[in-house]
Order: sequence, then C-alpha cells, then structure tokens
Amino acid sequence: MVDVYTFVSGPLAWAAFTICIGGCLYRLISLIVLAYKKERFIFTYMSFSYGLRSIVHWITPFATENWRRHPVLTVVTFAFHISLVIAPIFLLSHIVLWEEAWDLRWPALPDALADTMAVIVIAGCIFFLVRRLKLPEVQFVTTASDYVILAIVAAPFVTGFLAYHQWVAYPYMVIAHIISGEVMLVAIPFTRLSHMVFSPLTRAYMGSEFGKVRMARDW
Amino acid sequence: MKKSALFTVAVPTLLLLMIAVAGSQEEIEFVDNSDFSNAQRPPSVFRHEEHNEIAELEDCAECHHIYDDNGQKLEDESSEDQRCSECHESRSSGRKPSLTRAYHVNCKGCHLKQKKGPFLCGECHVKQ
Repeated sequence: MVDVYTFVSGPLAWAAFTICIGGCLYRLISLIVLAYKKERFIFTYMSFSYGLRSIVHWITPFATENWRRHPVLTVVTFAFHISLVIAPIFLLSHIVLWEEAWDLRWPALPDALADTMAVIVIAGCIFFLVRRLKLPEVQFVTTASDYVILAIVAAPFVTGFLAYHQWVAYPYMVIAHIISGEVMLVAIPFTRLSHMVFSPLTRAYMGSEFGKVRMARDW
Repeated sequence: MKKSALFTVAVPTLLLLMIAVAGSQEEIEFVDNSDFSNAQRPPSVFRHEEHNEIAELEDCAECHHIYDDNGQKLEDESSEDQRCSECHESRSSGRKPSLTRAYHVNCKGCHLKQKKGPFLCGECHVKQ
C-alpha cells in the first residue's frame, strides 16, 4: 500500500497535472491557430468590452433571459460549479498536502462546509444525469461520452466524501480518490470538460458578435 | 486529636499524591493538539511507548530534536522538556517548518521512508 500511495501521489500526480495544464495550453493554442487559418473574421469581430460584458452577465445568476427561464437549472448549475472548483482548492486536507510537499499554505474552508459542497457536486451530477435522460432537447445533443464525463466528475467527490467520513474501506477509498482526481485532471483538456478553458472564449465571442456586429442586446 | 489530624491531612494528601503520580505515568494515546486553536481533525493516534518499542527507537532526539540557528541538528541534545510549539510556530520560517508541517513531515515522512506505520490522513486522524 505504501508503494501504491507513493506512486499515485508522486509520479502519477505529476503526470496528471502536466497533461492537464499542457493539454489545456495545447488545445487553446491550436484553437487560436485554427481560427486564424480558417475563420480570421473572428479576430475582427472580437471586442474586449462586449466580450467581458457578456461573461460578467452570464456568470451572474438570473441575470440573463436564459437563466431566468430555467430557475432550477440556474440554481443547480451555479451551486455545482462553484462547489466543484472551490471545494478541492480550499479543502484543508489538500492544502495540508501542498504544505507538506512545497511548504505552501493558504486559508482553508471549514471541513463541514467543504463536506456540504461535495454533497452539492454529487447531487448536481445526479441532476444533470436525470436531465440528460429526461429532457428531449438535452437528449438530442447527448452522446455516450457525456455519461462517462459525469461519472469522471462525480467519482473524486464520491470517493472523497466517503474517505473523509472513514466509513468504508478507508485506505482503498483514499487511493481511489487520488486516482479518480487524476483521471478527471487528464480528462479536462480532451473532453467536453474543456469548457473550463473554452467557455470564456465562446462567451466572449458571442457577446462580441451580439454587441459589436449585430448591435443587439446581450440576452 | 492526633489520630484525626492524620485522617484529615495526611490521608487526603497521600491520596492526591497517588492520583498525581498515576496520572503522570498514564500512557500517551494521542498527540496533544491543544496548540491548535481550531483543530478540524481528531488528534492523531499516537501511543508513545508502543510506537518506540515497535520502531525500536532509542534516541529521543529523533523526534525531540534541537536545531541551532544555522539549521544544524545538535547531536547530543534533546528537547523532551519542551513543547513542540515552543519552536514550531503556526507558520514556517526559513527552514523551520510550521507546527502542522513539522508533525506531518516528521511522522508521515518517516513512515513512508521506512514503509512502516500509517501514512494516510485518516489512519492517524481516526474519526471516533
């Protein structure tokens, strides 16, 4: 078990972070290069102020027409995404590991709050799963990979939640938690999870086109 | 008169002494975490005598060490009479690790190196 832990928390963690960051940079650069080659008009359409306006507009709950039309989705998606990003970064147990390895430290969430956020993420995954299965307009754009992605996202939170409470098979749960987190990191650049990097860009483009080209409202 | 003095003074004093002695020799079961004001995890399980017997630790200064100002470990000195927090503060300074980092690196670091003993969060910070 020591050797398994040393491996998954050492070389495997290095590989996962490298692939995640390197992969995101690669995807980003190749997207820009592709746009430059094939659809250069995009660069003339882009506007910093209209782009930023649209991003701010869309990351504010209920600010847009679309958010107001889907109140349940809005609440779930905001709670889900905030918890998904904030909980792992500000989790005490994670910070302790950064401190151990690099002597770095930053403020942590109380464990009880982080625990609640893990439950929110898991509940969010279930919500998105049901939504994909039930709503025809979502079904229409769903492929098998979307279910796999939901599982990839849920796994680190389910195993982390169980490991934190030390309920079942504790050592195995921690190892499963580390591996599932690494799988998620690696999946970010190469699956739909890449919207983590791309969504500000697509939002900024749409905002720019609506504001600068069509002279329309940002709905 | 003399007999009652014996019972009102000597016997309770003796009893108190016995309790104090028994208390001081009680085996350490957990790391004393009273220096952490807002501890989020249960104190680390640590049976001092049992640990040192299994680990075949003779040298107290392995954990109860003293470093000089240049970061050199003083070989013949040890610090059992001090609290860890007298040197290790809540934040690291220079090469001196913070109190949490000192505990984690000292305990877990050795366990990983020796491939013996607990090394996962919940193996030491066991929820009751």
